[in-house]
Amino acid sequence: MHVLLRQLNRVRRDARLPRGRPASLAVRHVDAGSCNGCEHELQAAASPFYDLQRFGIGIVASPRHADILLVTGPVTTRMREALLAAYAAMPEPRLVAALGDCAMGCNVLGDPAALAEPLEELLPVAVRIPGCPPTPDAIAEGLLGALDGGLPRVA
Amino acid sequence: MTLAVAKPTAADVPLPLWRKAVAAALDGGGRFAGAYATDDGDELRWRVLVAHGALVRSLACRSAARRVPSVVDLAPAAGWDEREAHDLHGLGFDGHEPLRPLVDHPADPSAWTVPMTGEGVHDVAVGPIHAGVIESGHFRFHLVGERILALDARLFHKHRGLERAAQGGDADHGLAHVGRACAACHVASSVAYAQAVELAQGRRPSDDLRVARTLLLELERLYNHLNDVSAVCAGVGFAPGAMAFAALKERAQRLNARLTGHRFLFGSVAVGGSTLALSGGAARTAGEAVRSIGDDAAKAWRSLMFARSVQARLDGVGVLTRDDAVRLGAVGPAARASGVREDVRTTSPRLAYGDLAAAVPEAPAGDVRARLQVRALELESTCAVLGELLASGEIAPGGVVTAARDAPNFGTGLVESPRGATLCAVELDGDRVARVHLRTGSYANWPAVAHAAAGNLLPDFPLINKSFELCYACADR
Repeated sequence: MHVLLRQLNRVRRDARLPRGRPASLAVRHVDAGSCNGCEHELQAAASPFYDLQRFGIGIVASPRHADILLVTGPVTTRMREALLAAYAAMPEPRLVAALGDCAMGCNVLGDPAALAEPLEELLPVAVRIPGCPPTPDAIAEGLLGALDGGLPRVA
Repeated sequence: MTLAVAKPTAADVPLPLWRKAVAAALDGGGRFAGAYATDDGDELRWRVLVAHGALVRSLACRSAARRVPSVVDLAPAAGWDEREAHDLHGLGFDGHEPLRPLVDHPADPSAWTVPMTGEGVHDVAVGPIHAGVIESGHFRFHLVGERILALDARLFHKHRGLERAAQGGDADHGLAHVGRACAACHVASSVAYAQAVELAQGRRPSDDLRVARTLLLELERLYNHLNDVSAVCAGVGFAPGAMAFAALKERAQRLNARLTGHRFLFGSVAVGGSTLALSGGAARTAGEAVRSIGDDAAKAWRSLMFARSVQARLDGVGVLTRDDAVRLGAVGPAARASGVREDVRTTSPRLAYGDLAAAVPEAPAGDVRARLQVRALELESTCAVLGELLASGEIAPGGVVTAARDAPNFGTGLVESPRGATLCAVELDGDRVARVHLRTGSYANWPAVAHAAAGNLLPDFPLINKSFELCYACADR
């Protein structure tokens, strides 16, 4: 009896909690030639201080499971094919996000001969998160903004 | 744009004497520290750098036919350097057979993998895109069952041509290219570049600048080592340890942001100076923050010692013997874990390390445990160095003083990054960069990772890889 009451109380308490976000976002990351700064910060965004998972944003192992392709780096010639293959493997509807200044085509350093077209020309970029590298806060803000603002509908 | 090549510091070695000259330079404890080709249109110059402590000796030869004798049998550590020069500059090496592509990525795997045949031998290809948030690189495992016979690593997916892009640019601006090679080694690569340019211009750092740069280098080591211990915990699937050290890394990076305005210390290093300026009070507060991180790291480390699921996974995995470490030219924590008592910090006249000693664990078995132990020992010494420098009061950005009347137009910088000795060589043409070459600790250690993986089980590879925790970005450039 006592146990039952306690469970009932817990259900009542939980019912008063604010509702969470109505959707979740499965993220597949592809490093297309970054300096490793964006990777460190994306990992930090999933670490104890930020814990992106509690908002329904999780990093998944395969593009087959992903809603959004999160691309870092300026896209090197040697990563171009793998990047396009990862995008092709995603189920529709699918989205592309540019993480960091390099992926957004800003202040890219490097020899043009070693770099492919900018990401914007290769894939339909819907979300842009600037920074060099973007801080974990900025990454969380960018992805949550995409989730809250209603993700652009892509066929 | 064509640029005059900087004057060599010594006369070029005639080709027939090349191997003898390199052998003589390596005699008596010389360590192969890097090599690079310079193209001046008509001929190629090939330069080999050999380190004796802090002293870097440079030898060069020229070839109009674009062929030089290989030294890979004298210094196996030169294997990658020769393959890179062949791919990027078309330089041939007599005696380096087969000269497999390294930076180039031909489609046919037989062009770049070691052939393996026999009953039950099969290949497993992994990457360049990995399952987690990991940099891009491709691994080709040759297996029997789950046992790794050999591993061919194909990196350079992230090759951005940063060295070529810096050529012809302003010497101060070259720092942007070198520093962005890798975020996690930003300070080490930047200081190596700044040292090289200053030496080429006949200048040397003031005492204040030595202190400021040493502080920045150790702040970088602090967050990297915390990250690496976390990575090994993740490699054995031990979430409490991975989370504890990831949280400590976050605290270290927030300290970086408070001190320099950037979590990776970007922009804190300059040619001829630094931007680190702290009042006495700010330095004291920073010292307290470092002590608190160090204390908590020591506590987290002690609890790791009693986590049996971690301890059971560390011994005898991914062994790199001392002989192999020396032969393959391994550096940094990976080499020290194998018993190689070398640390560039102990012989850094252009930095302020005092009487720091290289950290070697009691049982340098060269396995995952030993590499983890080196990180723990160095976390202690790094916090001690930071505490000592911050306790001395105000930190000034510092500057440089002119040491030599003539600028040699050629200089090298040697710095111990969190992953080992990082060398930067710079040739100047007036205020312009004629050639810059960066050889990081990660570049030096990748062949050792492939070697240490052989004989282990495939599922242990992520753990072995994380115990080295090398960057792909600063190897690929």
